[in-house]
Amino acid sequence: MPIKKRGTGLTAVADAWQLADIDVSASYPIRPYTAVMAELAKRIANGTMKCEMVHGEGEHAQFSIAHGASMAGARATTGTSGVGVTYAFETYSPIAGSRCPIQALIGDRTLDPPGDFGSEHTDCLTLRDNGWIYGWAQDAQEALDNSLMYFRIGEDPEIMLPQIVAMDGYFVTHIAQDYEMPDQEQVDKFLPKFNPKFRLDVNNPVIMGPQIEPEMGPPLEWDRHVVMNKVKGKIVEVTEEFGKIFGRKYAPFVEEYMTEDADMVYVLQGAHAVTCRSAIKYLREAGYKIGMCRIRWFRPFPDEALAQILPKFKVAGVVDTGTSYGAPCGGGVLSTEVKAAMSEVPGKPIIQSFTSGLGGETITHEEFFAMAEMMKQTLAAGKIIQSGTWVNFNDYHEGASQINAAKTEAAPSK
Amino acid sequence: MAKVYKQVPFAAIVPSPQTENEGMVTGNWRFLRPVVDKGQCTECKTCYIYCPDACVNWAKDDGISFNLKYCKGCGICSNVCPVGAIARVPELDFDE
Repeated sequence: MPIKKRGTGLTAVADAWQLADIDVSASYPIRPYTAVMAELAKRIANGTMKCEMVHGEGEHAQFSIAHGASMAGARATTGTSGVGVTYAFETYSPIAGSRCPIQALIGDRTLDPPGDFGSEHTDCLTLRDNGWIYGWAQDAQEALDNSLMYFRIGEDPEIMLPQIVAMDGYFVTHIAQDYEMPDQEQVDKFLPKFNPKFRLDVNNPVIMGPQIEPEMGPPLEWDRHVVMNKVKGKIVEVTEEFGKIFGRKYAPFVEEYMTEDADMVYVLQGAHAVTCRSAIKYLREAGYKIGMCRIRWFRPFPDEALAQILPKFKVAGVVDTGTSYGAPCGGGVLSTEVKAAMSEVPGKPIIQSFTSGLGGETITHEEFFAMAEMMKQTLAAGKIIQSGTWVNFNDYHEGASQINAAKTEAAPSK
Repeated sequence: MAKVYKQVPFAAIVPSPQTENEGMVTGNWRFLRPVVDKGQCTECKTCYIYCPDACVNWAKDDGISFNLKYCKGCGICSNVCPVGAIARVPELDFDE
């Protein structure tokens, strides 16, 4: 029987890893990732979980340990946050290139300097081009469920790619929530034991990750490109099967909220979707025809799904909780990706970029209201009034008093 | 005309042991060459264990030698040698 639990996103992932019967976990402390390693250590010590835990001397070593373990045929996990993500950078492409489906948990956090412990997607977005499959969980339940789905997708013999279970630091990693821990029998049915075709084995020795000739490189990169596109079909298949076995149904790529008759839509990913939904309820009362599209996968990017969904709306406001200084159109990474995905789609909406929720700041109702107000004015004008808006900093309303007026107007019943 | 690429197995995973691969010759990367003093060498094979490119060979009658086709001149062998038997000599000191 599934068990109702109260815990954080990190205990939820520890539960997923326990149910997945992982063989090796490589650790190195950095907040907010640290709690999952403490949780695993506790479970191993008290005998509820059997797993080899190896402590690295840094994140680079940590990911290398997981890489080696996976090469030897282990179901291996690791994880990190913030500058830990960037310290391990050299390891990401080799892990994906040698097709080792390790799973990493990234409880995201802003990059230094200065040392800001707050949540931001910037750390995890820096490794988007390295061949890992990943997306953001909005709460503890989804973190647990994503972890199981990611193992299943990444370890598929046709895929064999590493995965990142990304989640907003603190909002998901540290806030206690209710979630359901599935039954071991259900998980065993969904996730068979990892059994790779190639592994380091003294009885059948192979070389993994050798030096190659330049002429051999492009075909290997082509393989990774092709397989990343194949992941999309696998996501649809696995999400559907997950729903049948565990009873929790997810939209495979994009979750829509109150979009039926919407003219305007927020496009975002991660935990701020929770606040966004409640802000939309107020905005609906105030007469704004607005909804939300939450992107569940960042790599592979769900461009086909967005191409089908977004033309229904007139304005799409992409909310970035990360930075990309000097990026085109003044937006962040997510808005750049959405604009690229929509570039050739007929009837696409006007896509507006917003940056908010940096450094662990909550995106408040008022900020969502301000964004809605700006989208409304874009809708009225039929064109972008300002390209790239940092909410509360440089929005086209002149002066804070006008922004505040817009917020108040947008939330009459609050 | 389309380029001809070399076909590679899945993730470039190849059968082992594979000490010679003509496609991987990197000898011209090196500017310092390891030279072993066979008088001092105790044949402890520490260099053999540490060489990251499997360039150290050992034969019963001939002792330690280096496969210079793959040696990148990193100097690890010289650093780990417990008796200081491996020198690093500039490539330009050699005719070949």
